[in-house]
Amino acid sequence: MAFNFNWSPLIADTSRARDMLTAALNKSPKPPIIVDDIIVTELNLGTTPPELEILEVGDLAEDRFRGIFKMSYTGDAFLTLKTKVQANPLNTYLSAKPSFASPQPLAAAAGLTIPLQITLSDIRLSGFVILVFSKQKGVTLVFRNDPLESLKVSSTFDSIPFVRDYLQKEIEAQLRVLFMEDLPAIIHRLSLRLWSPEFQELETEERLDAPKDTTVPIDPFSTPAQDAVDAFGNPIEPSQISALSLDDPAEVHASFSQKNMTRLAALSESQRTLSLFTPGIQEVVFRAWTSPAGAESGTNTPGLTQGSLSRIQSTFGSTRSHSSSVASGSTGNETQSSRPTLASGYSSSANLSLGANRSRTGAQRKRKTRVVNLRKTDGADSPALSTESNTPLTSTNVSETDSVIPEEQEEDVTTPPRSPPKNGFDVGNPTTLDPKSLVPAVPLHASPPKAPKPKQKSKISTPEPVEETPRASRRPPLSHSRLRPSQQATSPLLRSLSFDKVSSLSEKAKQPLSPPFSDSTSSSGGILEQAWMLKMAQEIGRKVQDEKDKQARRELRRSRGLEKEGVDVRDMAKGVWAEDEEVEAPPAYRA
Amino acid sequence: MIDFMDNVQNAFYETSHWNLDNSYGALNATARALLDFQTPKGLRLQISSLAAPNFATSYTIGSVGVVDGSVSYLYSSLPVQRELRSANLALRHVIRGYRHLQELRRPDEKWWWELWHDGVRIDNRDTLLYGRIFLPQSTLEALYLRRLSPTRQLKITAVSDSNLNNGGTILALLQTDVGKYSTEYMYSTDSALLGVRGLYNFGYDPRVAPTSTPTAEDVVEPVHGRFSAGAELYYGLLNKSGGISTGLRFTTLPNHTGFPYTMTLTLNPLMGNLSSTYAVKAGKNLALCSRFDFNFYSYESELQLGCELWRRRSNTEVEWAVKKLRPEWKRPIASPDDDVSGILKARVDQDWRIGVLWEGRIKELLFTLGASVDLRKREQIFRAVGIELQYSS
Repeated sequence: MAFNFNWSPLIADTSRARDMLTAALNKSPKPPIIVDDIIVTELNLGTTPPELEILEVGDLAEDRFRGIFKMSYTGDAFLTLKTKVQANPLNTYLSAKPSFASPQPLAAAAGLTIPLQITLSDIRLSGFVILVFSKQKGVTLVFRNDPLESLKVSSTFDSIPFVRDYLQKEIEAQLRVLFMEDLPAIIHRLSLRLWSPEFQELETEERLDAPKDTTVPIDPFSTPAQDAVDAFGNPIEPSQISALSLDDPAEVHASFSQKNMTRLAALSESQRTLSLFTPGIQEVVFRAWTSPAGAESGTNTPGLTQGSLSRIQSTFGSTRSHSSSVASGSTGNETQSSRPTLASGYSSSANLSLGANRSRTGAQRKRKTRVVNLRKTDGADSPALSTESNTPLTSTNVSETDSVIPEEQEEDVTTPPRSPPKNGFDVGNPTTLDPKSLVPAVPLHASPPKAPKPKQKSKISTPEPVEETPRASRRPPLSHSRLRPSQQATSPLLRSLSFDKVSSLSEKAKQPLSPPFSDSTSSSGGILEQAWMLKMAQEIGRKVQDEKDKQARRELRRSRGLEKEGVDVRDMAKGVWAEDEEVEAPPAYRA
Repeated sequence: MIDFMDNVQNAFYETSHWNLDNSYGALNATARALLDFQTPKGLRLQISSLAAPNFATSYTIGSVGVVDGSVSYLYSSLPVQRELRSANLALRHVIRGYRHLQELRRPDEKWWWELWHDGVRIDNRDTLLYGRIFLPQSTLEALYLRRLSPTRQLKITAVSDSNLNNGGTILALLQTDVGKYSTEYMYSTDSALLGVRGLYNFGYDPRVAPTSTPTAEDVVEPVHGRFSAGAELYYGLLNKSGGISTGLRFTTLPNHTGFPYTMTLTLNPLMGNLSSTYAVKAGKNLALCSRFDFNFYSYESELQLGCELWRRRSNTEVEWAVKKLRPEWKRPIASPDDDVSGILKARVDQDWRIGVLWEGRIKELLFTLGASVDLRKREQIFRAVGIELQYSS
């Protein structure tokens, strides 16, 4: 592909362009120093063409073209203007001031109008140009930024520095306006005259009237996103953004407005801290919403309820029935795509972000202890499965095809049984909930297969009344109130599929977990302190335990001998080993 | 026709013995009154009132495109004694025309202003406060005027307008007038403009009381004119630009036997502008003026001609009777210019731009009817037409 820009015919006849420039220069209100019309006496485009670098070609056909260029010009074009200027600075200064507080000089402000010839040369331009050409609509050329880099203004007043500087400043300002506003119009009119004969006739009639519609062809460019930024927050080049707005609307999503970016920043900020504030972002699904607890917020974004719905299904399914989890996987194709990140982030980072999204009072702390305790109970109560505490998780991974599931399961299986103390939490909260939100959950007992549908209803009906309560306190109870009955309802199904595993998990998890949890929830104030204290207590306890274990092991080794060490030690001191595992595992879940 | 508030201010100057004409800024006041008058645009109504001798209010409403208006208040510590009701005010006070300069007055002695009561001075400096707000634009004009001493006056004017740089501008003007000469120092906050103006009157010094008895020569050839010279200098500290001009004036005094006339010559050496005016009061009802501008840098020249004509009703039936009245008899005329039907002012320049003004009084209303015409531009001859009505009580 090649473009052939022919420069020489452009420089041949400039009389029309001269007239149009003259008209354009006199259109806008002139500064008081210019007291006469500005007449373009000479216009020479020079022999050096501007350098064009094609950045993007948006549309290309025989009769139309749309592209973005990077233009730089260092040619020898020059322009000579003739006008009359007011040489008395006092005159121009006073003409713009109210007469009431003016010194009203007698003759010191007497005017001296001087014919002025200005030559603009050494014009240095560099900028992004958008060129749209179509046979019908002519050529539209728009500068996306201020292209004027520098120019040399030589005039009659070069010997007077004050006037020279003033002229240079004024003319540069005027030229910027010319490049940004007037030049596109001039080029458009010129091109129309060239290509459409009917316009030529129109034009001749129209010439008597004032030209008014000259800015119309710029319209498609005139409403790009304001201070657009890309996904990384870097400002998008004006040329790019205009290309985006020109292209089909699907691509517009690539750009975010500054406003949304700040909201996103606030959101990530709130996750880093203990802030409960979640900024509202339109058409965005929060991961927190995808859990059944946050289901009520799904109605805020009507377009996305489907996705969040399917996600709820998947969480339920994954916990209780693999069949339903498969179904949810098939329906929630949109949400599944976002899941892998979660699944892959099974390690510390994902857990952290999840915890940040959810309630801070319980979830994060819970999870930590829960994981630890799970293994402990596994190791302690079901030694038959395997000697390693990790086995239940790996086995589920194997049995379930969906990579998403382990994470979900890990969360949801453990939460409901663990919550006896949390029930008190729950009892208080449902009063703030819309009763409807809870009622549909009841039929779940009777008809487990229909579970998803009532869920959907309840989710839609909840949001308004619930919205008053802060999210952090609201979410966990909601999830429990719904999960428990449904879990019980689906338990037969569960048992049929992975009976031994899940049931053992849930049942075992109940007893050992409750004590620490009740501790944490009993004192609701001072979350930070509480967390800190708990952590410290655990840490210290662990250290002490560690020391004891080491000593115990040493003693064991000494007493038993070195050969049969591994198996025997495990058999003999199960609790010790479980503690050991605990020491190694948690760092992944702790930030 | 000058504004009601300007009229009140002039009355304040008159009462406090301040000579407005003895300033370099008023050097060519006559020519400006006859040649640079403003023609009204659109319809403008003004209702004013001197509610108390010290307090005046004025309301203006106009329609130039949109309806706009202004509200102004004025306070003067000196009671205004001038007749200000539009029904009987003296038209010469509100019509700017040929300014017939009077003999210089000896400035008041300081002790004249002193008021003692029980051994304590109780006199205050005379002060005038004036404010005016233009309503849709929210532009505020304020004036503070204080007579510091019989020969000195401080005038501070301010304009507050969001369209201006820094939201407004303040001009402080310190004026000194001792009769023989006058000086003005000014400072404008806008670009920190400093200005000095001075005017010197040659000849008779009013401060020196005539000690010797008038000689024969004085009696035969009394001083019938005054020659004045002045200069002004401005410098803007911020924009580092300035201006300068010098001027001369010769004007006849009331004891001049012929027709009164005024000649001025101003020169701006920086810009090469030379301007000469000649105004003559050709009769009781007619004044003529001409101005010639020439710039010896650009060789541009300009010529303007103007006239002022007072039209009086000639009631021929009673004229013979009026003639027979003896001068010492008190004339039963309510106001001095009861017979004035109107004042016509007209100006024309070499480009055939014409301005016409017809001012007068109908019943109790003062009216100004004006038009500016440009004969060169055939398609739009009338550049501006307007009427102003004033009523004051």
